[in-house]
Amino acid sequence: MVFFGPCKRFAFAPLTVAGDHLMRSSVSSILLAATLAAGSAYAAPPAASGKAAAPAALGATTKDDLASGDAAKVRAALDDVRMGGTANASLAPVVADLLQRGLTAPITLAAIETLGDLESETASPVLATYAQHRNLKVRQAAIRALLKTRGPAATRALRRGLSDADPMIRGLSATGLGAQKAKDALPDLLLALDHRVNEATAAIGQLCGPAECDALTAKLGKLPLDVVTSGLDQAFFRADVGEESRLKVIAKLRELSTAEAGKYLRDVQRRATTATPRVKQAMEQALSAMPGGAQ
Amino acid sequence: MNAARLFVGAACVALSACGGAQSHARSFSTDWEDDGGASIEAVRVRLAGARATLAADVAVGVAGNSDKLVGLPLGGGAKWTFAHAIETRPVIAGGVVVSQGAGEVFAVDAQTGARLWARPAAGLVLRGAGDDGTYTVVTLGSTGGSGSTLLALDRQGNVVQKVETERSLGAPAVIKGLAFVPWGQQYLSVYDIDKGAEIGRALVRGKVSQALASGGGVYFGEVELFRFDEAIKTSSRGGATKLPIPKRELPGATALMRSPEERVGPVAMAVDKTRMYVRPGAIDAPAALDSSRLYANYFRLTMAFDTTTSGLAWVHSSAVDVIGGAAASGGFALCDEQGKVEILDATTGATTAELAMGEPLKSCVVSADGLRPGAAKSPALPLSAQLSAALTSNDPELVAAQALLMRELATSPDEGATRTLIDIASNPRSPPTLVAEARKALPARRNGARAMIEALGRHYDFLRDVRSAPPVGPIAQALSAMKDKSAAAALASHLVDPADTDDDVKQTTAALIEIGDAPQVGALKEFFGLYRASAEGEELSQAAVNAGHALLKFGGPEGRKVVDAALADAMTGAMVKSRLAAVEQSLDAEKALARDKAKAGEKSKEDAGKKPAK
Repeated sequence: MVFFGPCKRFAFAPLTVAGDHLMRSSVSSILLAATLAAGSAYAAPPAASGKAAAPAALGATTKDDLASGDAAKVRAALDDVRMGGTANASLAPVVADLLQRGLTAPITLAAIETLGDLESETASPVLATYAQHRNLKVRQAAIRALLKTRGPAATRALRRGLSDADPMIRGLSATGLGAQKAKDALPDLLLALDHRVNEATAAIGQLCGPAECDALTAKLGKLPLDVVTSGLDQAFFRADVGEESRLKVIAKLRELSTAEAGKYLRDVQRRATTATPRVKQAMEQALSAMPGGAQ
Repeated sequence: MNAARLFVGAACVALSACGGAQSHARSFSTDWEDDGGASIEAVRVRLAGARATLAADVAVGVAGNSDKLVGLPLGGGAKWTFAHAIETRPVIAGGVVVSQGAGEVFAVDAQTGARLWARPAAGLVLRGAGDDGTYTVVTLGSTGGSGSTLLALDRQGNVVQKVETERSLGAPAVIKGLAFVPWGQQYLSVYDIDKGAEIGRALVRGKVSQALASGGGVYFGEVELFRFDEAIKTSSRGGATKLPIPKRELPGATALMRSPEERVGPVAMAVDKTRMYVRPGAIDAPAALDSSRLYANYFRLTMAFDTTTSGLAWVHSSAVDVIGGAAASGGFALCDEQGKVEILDATTGATTAELAMGEPLKSCVVSADGLRPGAAKSPALPLSAQLSAALTSNDPELVAAQALLMRELATSPDEGATRTLIDIASNPRSPPTLVAEARKALPARRNGARAMIEALGRHYDFLRDVRSAPPVGPIAQALSAMKDKSAAAALASHLVDPADTDDDVKQTTAALIEIGDAPQVGALKEFFGLYRASAEGEELSQAAVNAGHALLKFGGPEGRKVVDAALADAMTGAMVKSRLAAVEQSLDAEKALARDKAKAGEKSKEDAGKKPAK
């Protein structure tokens, strides 16, 4: 896989990464996937109304049902809309309006998940409101949906989510900010990492400039290695991260000089097939000096 | 000092062998019949005008490994040290310090620490001592039974009188050669040292185990304190003058005095850190407490209560536990376990002097009979600030005192008190009992709105380490009662804060009905939409009702539309719907009534206008 990132601020050589890089998904990414899957716990079974899943072109009936005020009809209509996925994005404002006016708790959850599946940015403002709901399940569902709807309102809500009392919301928010390339949130993400929001590591790795990447590197030895490397890994193989930053990571791993650090660096060495000669040399020298590194 | 020791050692092999010692079988006899106060009145007449010698102003600590006394004259003399094994708490009697250890009872000069005398203890335990400048009277008790010995000694340690009795003698006071000896928990006998005889006795209607000289007068009691004055002759009929010590709530099992029968060891225990202190007022004035102050110590906190108002006058926080103290004329002297002695002004609690023993203490006794505190080094902090310092200390040992102080704080009219209550309720490290007390007190506050609005500016924020929300509900209640409309925006910001409790939100919406206005309509609509159908529980449902109420009150036609739509919507919660419908009906009825009144008013004006002029 070749990364050709925009080299606007830093001149970096792109790195070729061995195929199994994808196997080293960050802790956060795995967590996100698991969380998103868990978030479907509410996912209502298809409505027993006999309406088959229609990918798109839902008619006026669906809109009427959504506006009916009848809980069963609204629920069924939401299922229909949801099953159509992004093809029904035009209905996002209708569902958002329903949420704005207020729904029962179960239908609130269904509406939020539906908006998430529609992936329409227009839904982000109302979802941002629900991201402050007093019901934790509703709040978590809103944050999950915001990861998909994106946009400035989503980013603001996710930044606020880093300060939520619930650890899952903090973790989801950190992951979402990384995925949404919210560079402005980097100071908050670093602060979150200091507060043991481990998911912030991957997000920082995705977004960091030289100073933030160095700050992340400095966490080696202070936080568990797998937590820090889930972010450093992202940064190390990013095309727009410079040689100096990579050398600092290598130097810090060498300084740690633990078997675990050596194992990780060896893995990086194997994957970083297009690294610059300086980086390659630094890795070789570091590994030869680390316990078990020369294997 | 060594000469004195040799003399004593040579002269007294045992207490009973000392020169001049006599045994008085008649003294402290239970054969005595109440003489209607005649004998004790005769003593009073004999002493009329006489004053007890003022005791030395000194703090005496047991230091080291309970192997030395350290003395610190409060009037400015040099610190002294006296090496001796210490087995009982020292007693400051007049100008001497009496203690016990290594098998002997001994006395040193209170101002210099110079050894005065020592006597073999003969297995007895020091209970108390009194001194009039000529004689020192000590009482000693047997460790197993109730037998006691009274010794009267001169400055050289010669035993002038000795009384052995089966009775339980308490701590004595001495004035003009007369020893006032409480005994049997109900008698005060006066023993003439020169004559070697009991010359007067009063039956006291109250527990009496201690006699003490203070401010020139003689007092006695244990739980209460009686004065030796012209009323003493009526003592057996309950007429003795009693000092008006208010019976008020104090933290812990705070006691005025301990029974001398309790052996008081050299190391301060909890009971020494939870004491009550008073100083009698002038001897020739109606019975009162000096400076109208009752002092109570509770570990690191020293409190002064105004006996005229019963309120807290001040509270002083020490860095470490206070292990000894004494009320002085116009002040209070305390001694802490690090050997620091502070003299505080009775009125304000301001520190007027700080002295140091220079080493940690095992225990400490203080005498401040003649002490008059000077001017304070710096003005005392306002009471609310003193309370804040005492209440924000997270020492679990202080919780009982803090609960009491919290109740005092709640009644303080000072704005700073409101701020302190908010601080305590907001601090995640505050003990839960204090948080509950602070939250209970806040709704009744009618000042400190600025502090309340400032507090509302804080929200739970994990990243910024704000780990507890302010007491939003109690603040909302207070601001609503104060009709402070400037607080509405700050209150509205809490409608969507999930870290606030449901009760907080309920109180916030209720307050917004009273002090909210058009600028809060948007937030109220948002809140109403979020919860009118999904609210779980009574408090949140009521909050939704309150939000609807506010929308009806000042939300204009749009607010009414939102509420009416909710009332028509099957998804709106049943409780919300029924209560909100009632609110709407009530508001409509009020409006109709107001319209009718207005119409009636207009009509009467018209009618008045139509009346022909007379």
